[in-house]
Amino acid sequence: MGAAVVATGVSYRYGDHVAVDDLNLTVENGEFFAILGPNGAGKTTFLNMLMTVTRPQSGRVTIMGHDVVTDTPEVRRALGVVFQDPALDDRLTARENLDIHAVLYALPRKERRNAVDRALSWAELDQVQSRAVRTFSGGMKRRLELARALMHKPSLLLLDEPTMGLDPQGRRHLWERITSLREQGMTVVMSTHNLVEAESCHRVAIIDKGRLIATGAPAALIAELGSSAASLEDVFIALTGKQLFDDSATGRDGMMSFARQGGEFTR
Amino acid sequence: MRKNSTSFLRIDAGVIGIMWKREMLRYMRDRSQIFGAISRTVLWLVILGYGLGAALREIEGYSYAQYILPGVVTLNILFSALQCAISLVWDREVGLLRSVIISPAPMLSVTLGKLFGGATIATLQGAIPLLLIPFLGLRTSPLALGSALVVMFFMGIALTAFGIIIASRLKTFEGFGAISNGIIQPLYFLSGSIFPLRGVIGGVGFLDIPTHLRDELRQLGIFAIGGGWVVQLPFFIQVLVYINPVSYQLDLLRYVLLNFEQLPLAADLAVTFGLAPVLAVLAAWSIERMLRKRQ
Repeated sequence: MGAAVVATGVSYRYGDHVAVDDLNLTVENGEFFAILGPNGAGKTTFLNMLMTVTRPQSGRVTIMGHDVVTDTPEVRRALGVVFQDPALDDRLTARENLDIHAVLYALPRKERRNAVDRALSWAELDQVQSRAVRTFSGGMKRRLELARALMHKPSLLLLDEPTMGLDPQGRRHLWERITSLREQGMTVVMSTHNLVEAESCHRVAIIDKGRLIATGAPAALIAELGSSAASLEDVFIALTGKQLFDDSATGRDGMMSFARQGGEFTR
Repeated sequence: MRKNSTSFLRIDAGVIGIMWKREMLRYMRDRSQIFGAISRTVLWLVILGYGLGAALREIEGYSYAQYILPGVVTLNILFSALQCAISLVWDREVGLLRSVIISPAPMLSVTLGKLFGGATIATLQGAIPLLLIPFLGLRTSPLALGSALVVMFFMGIALTAFGIIIASRLKTFEGFGAISNGIIQPLYFLSGSIFPLRGVIGGVGFLDIPTHLRDELRQLGIFAIGGGWVVQLPFFIQVLVYINPVSYQLDLLRYVLLNFEQLPLAADLAVTFGLAPVLAVLAAWSIERMLRKRQ
């Protein structure tokens, strides 16, 4: 069967911009693996290749021993995916969204109802299962998506910035659900911005400008740099000479800081 | 590669059914779409039909409101089918479709589910003007109504597929206004929906003749009597009407509902029932191409 993910010499460019540059990476079965890097480092492009949305322009990616380009159906069956933004039908209820998933992944007819029930209670959404998803908070949507991604018992879970944009309570609640998977031995690959989350993973890959800068256990990466490094952020600064986050503010960051300053009342 | 293409083409009834059901659930929860169909019906059939109908007394023996009834049905189908297709853009960027794309479900079946859903909604939307048949002084049989629904469903398939082919090439959602004005309206106006290709317009007479006598005259091939103008469209508009496939679909619908056709019936049948499967295959191919070219 092989390792959960094997990427060898993977590259991808959009025109002149190199999104992923000769990336080599292996994720073992049962690992909690974080991909850490600033905005635009190539995390999402790399995850898109793992989830068979983007084809690597050079190099090769295998998931559980299946090539993402030539064995797409096998790879898709093996994957559970949670996107960065919700990929739900807002007008349908939580249950209806899960029903669709059960059919798309060809769950046996008799087991569908049970699988949906189990997913709803796992996400702690059984009380609101008949409400349209558009009435859900960000955290509820993300929990629903996580439960959906697990319905067909995938062998690898891909999470793209799973807790981004959630309020602290929603974030904590979701993270509890994610860590509960760790005890069950699920293999998880997540891209993240959040240092606390990254540091709690088995291994971390630090990516900048599409290149892999370091991989290893968080504690080992911090220890390598000696006493001056206290966190993965220090590791990142030491390796790249720049901050992890303040590389460039996104439009949303600008809006948020504008709101903090008092927003339109300051004009 | 071989494996990919076979799995893409596999027909999975369960997948078709659930994607169809999704479209139907969305439709039933969206009152604005039904409201749109009702308002178009009132606007075109009642206001224009009776308003303009006061001036155009009759077209080939039919009152103006009767004449444009199949056209208003067609308008509702056009709007509904293209609206369903255009939701693809939204769905692809921020909706459920992203998770459908990475599932092992065969894409052809996903597309067919969407198509059948769009066509069913278009048929329901198109049936709203038909509810006014008793008030228009038309007499139809259950057989005629049943055949009309079949024609409408095939129109729905063809037009939803046509919309999907366009939508799969759109990068953003902003093109929607252009679609509505640049595609729906020309297809509608150039289909013989609100003016005939040629025929006797106006006059007094036929509508005042007792029904049984009117029927007898029709059997003799006389559709209008009394004073009126014989109208023939300008040549360039004729050409546009002849190359517009909607003209043939609409003509078949008019034949079924009013027993009156302006184009060769064989051409009507060929376009209506031939175009739908061809466009459906092209739509499935367009979606596959859109997914392949995505990045």
